[in-house]
Amino acid sequence: MADDTHYLGVDIGSLSCDAVLVDAWGEVVAWAVVPTGARNLEAIASARQQVLERAGLDANAPVSVVATGYGRSRVEDRLAAVTEITCHARGIQALLPGTTLLVDIGGQDSKAILLDSKGRVVEFAMNDKCAAGTGRFLEAMARAMQVELQQLGELDRLARSGSLTLSSMCTVFAESEVVSLVADGAEVPQIVGALHRAIAARTQALVRRVCPDTAARAVAMSGGVARNLGVVRAIGSLLGCEIAVPPEPDTVGALGAALIARERAGA
Amino acid sequence: MILPYFENLVSGIETKLRDLEGTDEPRARKRFALEIARLGVRLFGGREPVAWCGVLAPFDLLSAMGVTSCFAEFVGAMLASTGGVEPMLAATEGTGYSTDGCSYHRAVTGATQQGLMPRPDFLVATSAPCTGGLAMMENLARHFDKEMFVIHIPTRDEPDVVGYLAGQLRELVRFVEVRTGRPLDRRRLAEAMERTNRTRELLLEVYELARSRPSPARRRDLFNFGLVVSLLLGTETAVDVARTYRDEFARRVAAGVGGVPGERVRLMWLQNRIQFRSPVEQLLEQAGVAVVVDEFNTVTWDSIDPDDPFEGIARRTLSIPLCRPAQRRIDLLQRLARDYQVDGVINPCHWGCRQGTGMRGLVEEGMRQVGVPVLNLEVDCIDPRNFAPGQLVTRIEAFVELIEDRRGARDGG
Repeated sequence: MADDTHYLGVDIGSLSCDAVLVDAWGEVVAWAVVPTGARNLEAIASARQQVLERAGLDANAPVSVVATGYGRSRVEDRLAAVTEITCHARGIQALLPGTTLLVDIGGQDSKAILLDSKGRVVEFAMNDKCAAGTGRFLEAMARAMQVELQQLGELDRLARSGSLTLSSMCTVFAESEVVSLVADGAEVPQIVGALHRAIAARTQALVRRVCPDTAARAVAMSGGVARNLGVVRAIGSLLGCEIAVPPEPDTVGALGAALIARERAGA
Repeated sequence: MILPYFENLVSGIETKLRDLEGTDEPRARKRFALEIARLGVRLFGGREPVAWCGVLAPFDLLSAMGVTSCFAEFVGAMLASTGGVEPMLAATEGTGYSTDGCSYHRAVTGATQQGLMPRPDFLVATSAPCTGGLAMMENLARHFDKEMFVIHIPTRDEPDVVGYLAGQLRELVRFVEVRTGRPLDRRRLAEAMERTNRTRELLLEVYELARSRPSPARRRDLFNFGLVVSLLLGTETAVDVARTYRDEFARRVAAGVGGVPGERVRLMWLQNRIQFRSPVEQLLEQAGVAVVVDEFNTVTWDSIDPDDPFEGIARRTLSIPLCRPAQRRIDLLQRLARDYQVDGVINPCHWGCRQGTGMRGLVEEGMRQVGVPVLNLEVDCIDPRNFAPGQLVTRIEAFVELIEDRRGARDGG
C-alpha cells in the first residue's frame, strides 16, 4: 500500500458537517468543521474541499470515505455509511484509549454509549421524542439570553451555587421561561447554571439506562456541546466522576469514520 | 368507505392468487390477507350478527354461535396501514382525548365518532391485557347503545382461576344466546373446537419451521400474524391458512431458501409492529436482518376438549403471558430467544401502551440474563405524525452494528 493513501471520515450532523482526514498510519492529517445549513450536499463538498486543501492534497485526490451522521446516506462515493454511535466509539478509543463510557451530545441527539475495553459498543441509549438538552436547545437558550453560544461555558463559571431551576425542558417553554427570568432581573450566569444543571439531569437519566454505576468508569464526552465546559462540569457533578474531553470534541465521529475507512480499505 | 375498501381488497387478492396458480411463487401471506379482508367485509357488511371484542375474547366460541367478531384495535391498525388514521386521531384530539393515550384506541374512538365503525349487536370486552382497551369498549357500547359483556381475566394465579374464567364463558354463551336468539349448538361448538385444535397443530409446525436457519419467513409473512390469526380460529379457513403456511415454509426449508436474502442477523420483535408505511422492514431486509419471531407468533396453549371446551378455552386465555405477571412474559421471551437463536430483540414500546412501556426494564433485564441485547424504541405504532424516520433508522442500524461487532469479538475478531 502506498504511503500517500488517505482516508476521509465525514460526519453530517444537523448543525455541523465535520471532516477528518487520516493517513495510512491512522494519524490525523487535517480536519474541518463547517455549518451544515439547509443544503447538506454543499456542506459535505465544502468540508471535503477544506480538509483536502489543509492536507495539501488535490481536490480530486483518491480517498476512501466513510460517512456518518444523520446525512450519511447523502455522501456520494463512500466506502460505507456507519452510524454515529459506532463512529464516536471508534474515534474516542483512538483519542482517549480506555474510555468505557462516552456521552455524545450533538445538534439534535444525545447519546450514552457503553464501550468494552477494546472500544466496541456494548450498549447505547439515545434521546427519544424530543431534542431538549442538545446543541439546538442551547442555541435557542443563548439566543433568548442574547449571548453567544460560545460564551455559555464561561458564564457558567461565574454562576454562584444557587437554587434557580428551570421547570421545563421543552425548547419552546424553556425559551419563554428564560426570557421571563431575564425580564425579572435574574442574573444571566445563574440562568446559564440552571440550564446546564437541567441538561445534566436529562443526560444522567440517559447514562443510567446503559450504566447504573459510573464510579469505576473512564468517562469521556464528545460532540459540539462538549466544548461547553459548563455542561461537562454539571454532568460530571451529577455522575460523580471526572469527564475527559478530547481536543476538538465535535470531530470525534468524523475521526472514527476515517479510522473505519482505513480498516475497511485494508490498510 | 371501509366496506368498499375491503371488497376491493378481496377481489384484488383473489385475482393475484388466481395468477399464482400453477406457479411456485409464495402465496401463504396473500391467502391469510384474503381471509382477513373477507372478515372485514363481514364485519362491515351489515348482514351478520357482529360483536366488537377485546383482544382476548374467545373468537372460536363466538364463531360457533354464528357471530362475526373481531377485536376493535384491528380497525386502528387497518386505518394506519391504509394511511387513513390521521383524521380519526385528530377527531379524538378535538374531543379532548390526550395524545398520550394509546393511538390504537384513539383511532377506533375517532372512527366511531366519524361514523365509520359498524354498529355491533353487542360487545365482549376483556379486562386484560389493558384497561385502556376496556375503556375504549365502554365508549363504543355507550356510543352504539349496545350491551357489553366483560370477561374478567385474573392476572394472578388464584385458587380455581380456570373454573372462575370458564364460568364466565358459560355466562357469555347465555348472553349471546339472548342477543342472537339462537341457542348454542353443542355439536357445532365441538366441530369448531376440533378445527381450533387442528389449526393449533399446524401453527406449531409453522413456528417450528420458522426457527430454521435461514428462516423461511419473508419480511411480511408473519407480520401481525399470531394475534390476527386468532380471529379465524374455529373455522376451516384457519386450518387452510395455517396449512398453506406450513406447506410453503416446509418447501423453503427443504430447499434451504431463506425468506430474507443473505440472513446475517436474527431478531425478535416484541408486541406491536409499526402499522403505517415505514422504512423499517426494507431497511432490515437490505441489511440481511430477519425478524424471525414476533412475540405473539407462538402457541402457549394446549389442545382443547371439543366436548367440554370451556375449561380449555379458559386455560388458553390464561396462558397468554401479556395479561399475567411479568415473569411469565419474560420466561416466554427467554424461551423464544433460545428457540429461535436470536441475536437481538427490538422492543418498540408503543407510545401510550402502559403494559408495554411499564415492563420495559424487566424485559430488558430478562433478555440480558440470556445474553441477548435489546433495542428499546419509543415509537407510536399507529400515529405517523410522531414518526422520525431518521432517528429510528440510526437506532436500528447502530443496533445491527453492535450485534455484528459482538459476533466479531466472539469469533476472535
